[in-house]
Amino acid sequence: MSEFISKKDLLTWLGQLMEERNLVAPTRVDDLLLFSKIDQVEDIVFDFDNTTLSPKEWFYPSSETLFYVEQKDGQTELIPAVIEKETAIFGIRPCDAQGMAMNDFPFLEEPADDLYRQHRDKTALIGLACITACPECFCSSMGSGPHDPANVDILLTEVADGYIAQVLTDKGKALLPDNLLTTADVSSPPAPVLSEVPSDGIAEKMRQAFDEPFWDRLADRCIHCNICSYVCPTCYCFDVRDYTDKERIERVRSWESCQSPGFTRIAGGHDPRSTKGSRLRQRFSHKLLYFPRQFGALGCIGCGRCVRACPVNIDIREIIQDVQQLEVKSEA
Amino acid sequence: MDFSEEIRGKAKELLESGTVDCVIGYERATDGVGARPLFVYQPNDIDRLIFDQTCTHNLTKYLLNRKGKATAIVVKPCDSRAINLLINESQVQRDKVSIIGVVCPGVVKAGLDNTSGELQDTCRMCQQHTPVLYDFLVGEPASEADVPDTYPDVTGMEDKSAGERRAFWEEQFSRCIRCYACRQVCPGCYCPECFVERLDPMWVGIRIAPEENEVWNTMRAFHLAGRCIDCNECERVCPVNIPLSLLNRKLGKEVEELFNFQAGIDAETAMPFSTFEKEEKLGISE
Repeated sequence: MSEFISKKDLLTWLGQLMEERNLVAPTRVDDLLLFSKIDQVEDIVFDFDNTTLSPKEWFYPSSETLFYVEQKDGQTELIPAVIEKETAIFGIRPCDAQGMAMNDFPFLEEPADDLYRQHRDKTALIGLACITACPECFCSSMGSGPHDPANVDILLTEVADGYIAQVLTDKGKALLPDNLLTTADVSSPPAPVLSEVPSDGIAEKMRQAFDEPFWDRLADRCIHCNICSYVCPTCYCFDVRDYTDKERIERVRSWESCQSPGFTRIAGGHDPRSTKGSRLRQRFSHKLLYFPRQFGALGCIGCGRCVRACPVNIDIREIIQDVQQLEVKSEA
Repeated sequence: MDFSEEIRGKAKELLESGTVDCVIGYERATDGVGARPLFVYQPNDIDRLIFDQTCTHNLTKYLLNRKGKATAIVVKPCDSRAINLLINESQVQRDKVSIIGVVCPGVVKAGLDNTSGELQDTCRMCQQHTPVLYDFLVGEPASEADVPDTYPDVTGMEDKSAGERRAFWEEQFSRCIRCYACRQVCPGCYCPECFVERLDPMWVGIRIAPEENEVWNTMRAFHLAGRCIDCNECERVCPVNIPLSLLNRKLGKEVEELFNFQAGIDAETAMPFSTFEKEEKLGISE
């Protein structure tokens, strides 16, 4: 037996959530599928594989004011940004929820990033289990899975006429009133079968492959745009800049990418990652070697967005496979 | 259409004779349907080369990474115009490049296979089916298509009011995530330091927000006025589907009407952007 919510009750509930907090859900914008703030529940898309951009925008916006500094009555005052309203994200996929959990490692490790913590604390995740998958999906090889309940507050799985509801956390309990749930004799549909990527032992292989010409050859094709970083749920690098005028200073951070030329340029002009190969290697080493080494988990969650969006088919699944098979000449 | 064998034959000849040390062409992508760029340095990789109607990428941008090195490159007609542009602007040495030109009936839409026949929008408006520049030609030279209206998309936009156009572009640019893929893929964008990355003074803020996105996209478009060769790569790579070609084609149309000039048709005609004639200002103020 499972807890069940009918499609009709789900819409009513989402309508209620929309009234009392920000409701964010997948919407269609031209040909794209994007997480947007919902003004009417009719805009929500229920039938989708995954969104074009990841939901990280709602925890770590592409641009965000960190604080203002103002002069008032001869005093200098620092006014930090405050996230006031609660948010619920509906329709987040298990892979993306895992991605947000991965971002907790760098952002919430002390000293924690206060603004990220506010976003995280004030946001509840209503996950949708995957019934189908994109050809590029490989979450089950990266420590998650299409029905993984691990990182959401509520997980809904679509069945006939409604959804199986798993209420998983206190945040989830507070969000979904008991009276909307019934008990029903329905079982979860099978999870979609995804392509397997040989991620076992990849960290060590990445370490061994550090000096291989493989990266320069791969970089021949790479155009070094920032698409992969910006569509990725777990890429979290940013740049910080002050916007100043007579009355106040605003400190802003915006997404940045290790693929940008000059990302690692330092005072005096030296750039330790001046070659395209070294920049490309950095992105994959961060996901598959440094992140696991620092936090004990792979930094890629297998959502497949970078594979779909890359203009020149730099495919992390193929890279993992190729690195596993590299014959490393000698150990330094 | 499949010219894979012809391309492989020519690549083998050029590599084995030592004429070039790299052939830039296409291979099958990991989805098994589309194409992706391939750099061939060794004869035993030649069999990976393909050419069919999925080969959408304009590879000429890669020539800028191989300055001074003998390189062979596979080009479609629109791509060939980019080489003329780059020669005209002293970015490519003609004698270092062996150009394998391919007669092109147009490339298919993303995700479709070679046999689908469903062409990309720009290809349907294209008049150039034989490369303007090549050392070797693959395919039979085609008579140029008689396309009655080469700018239906632009004139459609021009018919709208200024307010409607502004609203349209504001909405499009609001989606921009400033990934700069449009710039990175564009053969006309090769400044060692892009204006958007100037820190001191900072010309465009780092904020990924509508106003700054608008400055970025319009300034890039103006830098390409009379230089864009209409390969549509910027629009193809845009992860949020901003119709960048529409903007570039509008400026291309203006330049064509004012100066009777189309970028990349040859490598010698002085570029309108880098020359000035006193009488020019007469037309522009209208």
